[in-house]
Amino acid sequence: MGPLTSPVEAIRRWITGSRGAAGSTLLAFLLAAGSVGLLVGLSSPSAGIGTPSPRLPASPVAAFQVPRPQPLGSGPNLTLWAAVTSTTAARSAPGLKSASLISLSRLTPERTSNLVLIVGRGRWRGGEEWLRVRLAALPANETGWVPRRALGAYEVVDTHLVVDRRSRKATLYKEGRVIFRAPVGVGRAASPTPAGQFYIRDRLAGFHKPFYGPVAFGTSARSATLTEWPDGGFVGLHGTNRPRLIPGAVSHGCIRFTNADIERLGALMPIGTPLTIR
Amino acid sequence: MAGPPALLHDSIDPSGSIEEASSTSFAFTRGELLRTTIAGLVIAAGSETSVASAAEQRNSDIAILNYALSLEYLQAAFYTEAERRGALTGGLADQAKVVGAHERAHVAALLEHLGTEAIKRPSFDFHGVTESPKSFTETAVALEDLSVAAYADRAPLITSRAYLVAIVGIQSVEARHAAWIRRLAGAVPSAHAFDEPASPTRVTGLVDSTHFVVERARTSAHGAPHFTG
Repeated sequence: MGPLTSPVEAIRRWITGSRGAAGSTLLAFLLAAGSVGLLVGLSSPSAGIGTPSPRLPASPVAAFQVPRPQPLGSGPNLTLWAAVTSTTAARSAPGLKSASLISLSRLTPERTSNLVLIVGRGRWRGGEEWLRVRLAALPANETGWVPRRALGAYEVVDTHLVVDRRSRKATLYKEGRVIFRAPVGVGRAASPTPAGQFYIRDRLAGFHKPFYGPVAFGTSARSATLTEWPDGGFVGLHGTNRPRLIPGAVSHGCIRFTNADIERLGALMPIGTPLTIR
Repeated sequence: MAGPPALLHDSIDPSGSIEEASSTSFAFTRGELLRTTIAGLVIAAGSETSVASAAEQRNSDIAILNYALSLEYLQAAFYTEAERRGALTGGLADQAKVVGAHERAHVAALLEHLGTEAIKRPSFDFHGVTESPKSFTETAVALEDLSVAAYADRAPLITSRAYLVAIVGIQSVEARHAAWIRRLAGAVPSAHAFDEPASPTRVTGLVDSTHFVVERARTSAHGAPHFTG
């Protein structure tokens, strides 16, 4: 018997069926350890105690590899939104005793899900969680608190649309990088496009109104001057049948794009994208 | 809606968190995720009782991979939402961060391999259980135990060794996740000497009862706009 091999090496040789002294070395190790139970457990009936096992087949290769785990994307460019799933009141503070600011229904005037943007972390009050959300209401920038149970699944976007009324340009950012830029028409002096923090809440297509172009997006922004407009005077993003007026201060508050630009934007901008109008 | 089957529930949801979630009043419509899972069950069951052709075997394997993908979608969404909402601290936050990255990696691997045959990701609503340490922990224990039991049930039916190697590699990681969250929950990490498999019918019944899989919000329409213009 040669010099005693390390237990790990001996087991490796024994399992892989290496010839030579491995079997007897392992046997010596096991006997020395007095580990009869281990010995019985490692030995197959056919191989016999201390006898090297037949060569094992080669290890099969996996059909696919699992990639290296990646951390979540950075937070500053991510926005969460959720749909209102049951009619509720948005309140001035967490809790049912706080003042009601506005009633939130499940559907928008366009019969799409009524979305709200989630602002910050939730707070627990009265045994339930409350979330601060951005509202599609006047005045601009309005937020309120709603019970978590009134909202559906969280969805995430990493885009942000910025409309500059002075330069009459719209810029879409994705993860903080510019991916789209286009000239726009904005509201006239008598019906200005409202400034503030808003969001995109639905997408309309397949209608036949050349004035609005091929695609339109509903936003949470409301005109402060056209409050009697059908459905409350919401501001949209849409195409046009008069592209020569773009860029310019030409609308009733909506943000107009050329038809080519609104279709390009439509392919890049998900619903729930925050909208900054400045 | 009836709660999860008692036997399964006792073994994978001892805390009752999923049952609690299932008692909420949110509307739930079974989506593509569960329909595909059931379809996979039927295909795989057929291959057990007859000499299956190569095409049938492949279809059965793909159905099982899609079943695995559905479970990974669920878990990845759960941990990702927990991390994003930021309500967890300390060991729980660390666990959610690491395990979430693993589950997303599992999703990425299955998606890449399945390509156009992959089921689409459904929409998940966890009804706030990711936003409280207690409910997060209880739900995570249930989901991880469920995942281990589901893999144990389907893995023996995989006909391709290459698929089996990949799936076993994922399943053992899920078992580690289960032990980790059980330890954080103050439970015995490995409570039993043998893990009972859970059939797709039981698994989908349980997931169904949680109301975690929901219809997507309707964000587009064809009506004419009434915007200010």
